[in-house]
Amino acid sequence: MAKVFVRHGSFTFGGGAVIMLALHREALERRGWIDEDDFGLCFALARLTPGTTVLAFCAGIGLRMRGLSGAMVALLASSLPCAVMVIAATALFAFWQDNHWVQAAIHGAIAAAVALTVWGVWSIASPYLKGPTLYRALLIAATAFLLFQVVGLSPIQVILTAAVGGALFPPKATPTADGVA
Amino acid sequence: MGLWELYVVLLESTATSFGGLASLPLLHDALVTNAHVLSDQQLNEAIVINRSTPGPVGFYVVSIGYFVAGLPGALVGWLAIVTPALAIIPAAHFAGRWIDHPRVKSTLQAVVIASAGLLAATSIPLGRSALTDAVAIVIAVVALAVLLFTRVGSLWIIAAAAVASTAASAAGLISVI
Repeated sequence: MAKVFVRHGSFTFGGGAVIMLALHREALERRGWIDEDDFGLCFALARLTPGTTVLAFCAGIGLRMRGLSGAMVALLASSLPCAVMVIAATALFAFWQDNHWVQAAIHGAIAAAVALTVWGVWSIASPYLKGPTLYRALLIAATAFLLFQVVGLSPIQVILTAAVGGALFPPKATPTADGVA
Repeated sequence: MGLWELYVVLLESTATSFGGLASLPLLHDALVTNAHVLSDQQLNEAIVINRSTPGPVGFYVVSIGYFVAGLPGALVGWLAIVTPALAIIPAAHFAGRWIDHPRVKSTLQAVVIASAGLLAATSIPLGRSALTDAVAIVIAVVALAVLLFTRVGSLWIIAAAAVASTAASAAGLISVI
């Protein structure tokens, strides 16, 4: 079990969705450790859980399989190896920093990092920027931007404001997807 | 900055974000703007490292821990990523009762969208730090276009950007110190 989480949690490029798809194939389709309901529940809960979605997802799958100890094994297996790799890469980074060619390469790489950050904005917001949630999403995003950038609230104050606003003003019920709960 | 203090700052950012780079605005505010223990350059480097190694996106927090406090800092960073994931354990027990509640959904949705707005604001200082010449600006614009319109992996984009700026430096187009 730890092996599966190490392999798919830590050695998959491409971020959360790819990792969860890989685990779907391995733990559900190939090994039958969990069923579709477990997967769906963990998928939904992991996105409600703060922090990195994939880690909560792995902990949830571990929990459904083997209780608390399963959750711990899954969480460790999916997070320790990539943490170690990140540490090694960071140490190398710090070590090579004074080399002229490395400097030149880093210069370009961090320019790409800015693109990744801007793209991060898009990938977080784009699921909401369509259909009935479009204007609501634009309003919330713009308000958050202005509260931080112009009003000078701290990020945590902005997040809390958004949470309160979201709780007080749920969107008008849309007759799609969810239907009758 | 002590390790415990670092843990609290990192945890604050991971526990109030819902994946990806959403934790970045808080980290930037606390460590770069207020405590001055991290630079914009290092934050950009942490993102590069994260996207050049396998695993989920949130792991740039480990690099940040390393930059601030060495190896112990990196461990603190790892702890700060893992801690919020434990919340799924109690959540799994109460699941079903409130998961479809419209107010719960609406709250989370608002938080996620607000974090996108915050991230947009945070990309301004990061961009100012990284995009210091025409070559870097071109690289960033091309990289963003590739990210938006193709499915090329971010590792390849970072590698291509590194090669491009090394070539530009060899050709004498830019001078990095």
